[in-house]
This record gives sequence, C-alpha cells and structure tokens, in this order.
Amino acid sequence: MSEPRDPVGMLDDRAVWLDGNAMAGLLAEVFGIELTAVVRTCGSCGTAAAVGAHRAYVSAGVVLRCPGCGDVAIRIARLPDRDVLQVRGEWSVELPRD
Amino acid sequence: MTALLTPRAVRWRVGTVSELVQETPEAVTIVLDVPDWPGHVAGQHVDIRLTAPDGYQAQRSYSIASGPEEGRLALTVERIEDGEVSPYLAGVLQEGDELELRGPIGAHFSWRVEDGGPLLLVGGGSGIVPLMSMLRHRAAHGGDVDTRLLVSARRRGDLLYAPELEALAGPGLAIHRTLTRERPDGWDGFDRRVDAAMLEYVGPPPAERPRVFVCGPTGFVEQVADALVELGHEPGAIHAERFGPTG
Repeated sequence: MSEPRDPVGMLDDRAVWLDGNAMAGLLAEVFGIELTAVVRTCGSCGTAAAVGAHRAYVSAGVVLRCPGCGDVAIRIARLPDRDVLQVRGEWSVELPRD
Repeated sequence: MTALLTPRAVRWRVGTVSELVQETPEAVTIVLDVPDWPGHVAGQHVDIRLTAPDGYQAQRSYSIASGPEEGRLALTVERIEDGEVSPYLAGVLQEGDELELRGPIGAHFSWRVEDGGPLLLVGGGSGIVPLMSMLRHRAAHGGDVDTRLLVSARRRGDLLYAPELEALAGPGLAIHRTLTRERPDGWDGFDRRVDAAMLEYVGPPPAERPRVFVCGPTGFVEQVADALVELGHEPGAIHAERFGPTG
C-alpha cells in the first residue's frame, strides 16, 4: 500500500476519494440519521445528487464534494470535544413522523 | 426510501462470530450473532472497528452478504495482504470471537424488490458481496425482476459463491463471468476486463432504464462507470461503491 502522493486529493483524485456512501457511518454518528439517500443540489453547478453519490475526500477530516463540479458540499472536522460542520448547497431532507 | 431515513442513532454494537466459511483461499464469510440487530436492506454495509491493546483503533466498511430475510448477519471479507484490518478478519478471527460493528448503513447503495428493475449488477472481485445480498433478497421474494449479473475475477478460483449462483441462475436472472488473469480449459465466460462491448452484450440496454449497481476496487468502478455512460446509461442511475485504497 503506497501513500497517496497528494493527501489532499486535488492532483490525482482517483487515488484518494471514496463514495459518499462509504461515509454513512460517520454521517449517522454526526447527524443521528442515515443521510446517504438524501438529495443535495449543488449551489455552484446545479447538479442534484444523492449524498451517497458525492465524492468523499478523507484526510484529517472529511470533505464531501459535488460529483458534477467538485464544489464543497460539506466539511466535517472531528475535534476532541466537538464536531465542526460547514454545509453548503441545498439539501432536501425528508424525515418520516411515526 | 423514507423508512431508511428513520432517525435512529447508529450505535456501535458487539457481535459474536457464530460461523466462519472459507469461500476461496483469500475470502471468508463471517456469520455474526448481533443482539438487537435491526435488520438491513440489501446492499448496505457495516463499519467494523478493531481496537489494539494500546487503544489504537482501525475502522473499515464491509458489505453485508446475507439477504435481509435470512435472520442472520453475514459479511464476506477478502484478505488484502498489506491491509490493516482484513488480514485479521480473514485469517486470525475465530468462531466465538467478538467484533465491534455499527450499521446497517449506506442507503444510497441499496435495493428492495419493490424498487423494481430491470437490474444490472456489476461486481469486481469481492465487489460481488453487496450484489449477492440483492440476489438473495430477490430470490426470497420469488425473483421475477429482470436481472443481469456481471462478475469479474482474476482467476476461476477467486469467483465467490459459484455454486449458489449456479443454482440461482434461470429465467429472469442471467449470470455472466469474466476472468482477467487466466482462461481455464472449458471456460465459456469472458476472458478480459469489463468494457463497453461486454456491458452492451450483458444488457439491459439504456432504453430500458435499468437500475445499475457497480461495486469493486476504485479502478474497476471507474472503468465500468465510464463504459456505462459511454453506452448511454444515465449517470444518476448508476450507483457505485468503491473499495478505496485500504484493506
């Protein structure tokens, strides 16, 4: 296993990004719900895609990017005492009431 | 889809290994007994967390192989020689051992019979695992959704679930195989990497608007997804699950 030559993932993105679907556990931990089927519309290019179809760049934190243009959808930084989130674009979340 | 969004904190649980099945020299199926397991949708995965005596933790995601109707949780793990987690799961782990896991998660890469078809499932190596869960789910419900499975492996001996797939194949379920590193005597499948011509042969054509699920190593998924788009499949209908660079 070789180290990615570009840990931030901006040079050769095939080497380092995963599907947003792989972040399901982290997102559930942070938000308390399964988010991967939620649709997000990019504020930059207008692409509407499920969170699970976004690109997840994992380094010190996690950045989800639009699969259409690469614009940042959400940044998640996990600090020792708190999670710091920056959310962008339009997220359409439906929560059933039982 | 709404049921998948039910607010429910995904918590870590401890499962006990009830059975180990050696599928191929490199892959083992781990059957787990998990108290209060909430059930899963075919295609979903779990996160597994290993903790070393010094507190160091390593976490990986593994697809669920069992069908939702089976009442058990089974994962199939392929050993990656220089990996951090898989050599333990597929080599050291024994029946009776405990494993920390959370899930099921990953609603985006999931399918239920009521979602309908036709279905195109493309798996590279152990990328067949979540697709197998979908096929088991499909079979449990009578299985008449038009389904095409294309499996790519290096060698014949690496093909997972071969006898079970043999038994499942029939009207409505076409199974295609390709080997990339050998062509054994009497082999009647493909013998090259998945390409657009192969996908066109397997079908269904884009005009039938199949739901497409592709799982495997990153390079494999990229190649298949590019070929599918080239053939005219809607990018939004292609659900992809990449393993990424670690094991």
